[in-house]
Amino acid sequence: MSRRKIRFKINGVEKTVEVEPNKTLLWLIREELKLKGTKKACERGDCGLCTVLLNGEPVKSCLVLAVEVDGSDILTVEGLAKNGELAPIQRAFIEHGATQCGFCTPAFLIVGHWLINRNPNPSREEVVEAINGLLCRCTGYKPIIDAILEAAKYMRRT
Amino acid sequence: MLPKFEYYSPTSLSEALDLLEKYGEDAKIIAGGTDLLVSMRDRILKPKCLIDIKKIPELRRIEYKEGVGLTIGAAVTFKDILEYPNLEKKYRVLWEAVKTIGDMILRNRATLVGNICNASPAADSAPALLILDARARIINKNDGVREVPLERFFIGVKKTILKPTEIVKEVFVPEPPANCYGKYVKVMRVQSEDLAVVGVAGLAYRDRGDLIIRLAYSSVAPTPIRVKEVEEVFKKKNMSLDEKIEEAVKISSEKVSPISDVRGSAEYRLNIVKVATRRLLKELVEAV
Repeated sequence: MSRRKIRFKINGVEKTVEVEPNKTLLWLIREELKLKGTKKACERGDCGLCTVLLNGEPVKSCLVLAVEVDGSDILTVEGLAKNGELAPIQRAFIEHGATQCGFCTPAFLIVGHWLINRNPNPSREEVVEAINGLLCRCTGYKPIIDAILEAAKYMRRT
Repeated sequence: MLPKFEYYSPTSLSEALDLLEKYGEDAKIIAGGTDLLVSMRDRILKPKCLIDIKKIPELRRIEYKEGVGLTIGAAVTFKDILEYPNLEKKYRVLWEAVKTIGDMILRNRATLVGNICNASPAADSAPALLILDARARIINKNDGVREVPLERFFIGVKKTILKPTEIVKEVFVPEPPANCYGKYVKVMRVQSEDLAVVGVAGLAYRDRGDLIIRLAYSSVAPTPIRVKEVEEVFKKKNMSLDEKIEEAVKISSEKVSPISDVRGSAEYRLNIVKVATRRLLKELVEAV
């Protein structure tokens, strides 16, 4: 199995890494780059907790091969805050206590961030549709939805 | 962890076909990877080589031509389909079916051609494609393109007529009948991402005043199936519309062969086939 050299940008930083073809993007993020905010859980595309933005669109990183991201731009939860200042989505999650155990939080932050940047005035239904592929087992969807709607308000104000 | 394999990302179709010719059964095509990588993780599939087709421009093409039809390339994602102008109206039944697949995040990667090549009995795009008379355009290194109606494409659970050296280049969906009404009903255990307990797609239109009905199902037989016998019922002259609907419900429930699994028992599925078919037919006949 021949290793391949891939170049990509993650959270604004250029990286060049050699990977084996059978490694996933999730492995690349957590094990090679040691960015542990992105969570590993079902590894079969059901729970969505490994979701990151790939070229601006949410993907489940357990179902993307590392070799497929050559030339791509990746955003993980670690890239949301800028210069020590939290992103609107992060502030809103704190405001609404939209975390319980916290394990699913990075995925919801990423998808929430994606949604409000794409559509700064989403309806409650549009928020529900966007987070459909993410599971929270503490059953805390209401505060999560409230927080995403609140973050959209922050976005509209700025 | 995935089993080991070599990875290729050809930038032309001919390069991809050369690789398929060389590796044959040891190769698998990867587009979205949302089914393939799960099967590989579970060691159901252990290909020696993966051929990524996402860098082949002609396979990323989706195009609708007025009066001709819709061409969906092998690397076109469900997201591309949902966002293509006017498909929501023109190909309503297909659009609705695509909208039920997985979730928004998976639809960013998963492809329609992948959905049919995976050949799950539960493939949500298949019933709509069947009633729209869709055809798979298949190609290998040595022969030209052959076109196969989707009805002959599926041959069993996760089995298609595709040979190891062949690839489905694209799916072609002809222009739907004028003023048709289409709908996909997906009965699920939960109102979120799941496979169907029963999926049924219906299409209705008038041909010189005569009512034409088409029905196809997912998740209730070894392959997605179109029940053509139902279409004959609606062509009969000496029956009332209500009688035709009941006759169609009876025929459909005889033609399907559901199994029991985690999503429901065979008996439950059969009952849902009847209920969903009756409701859908009533809606279809009122709409046209």
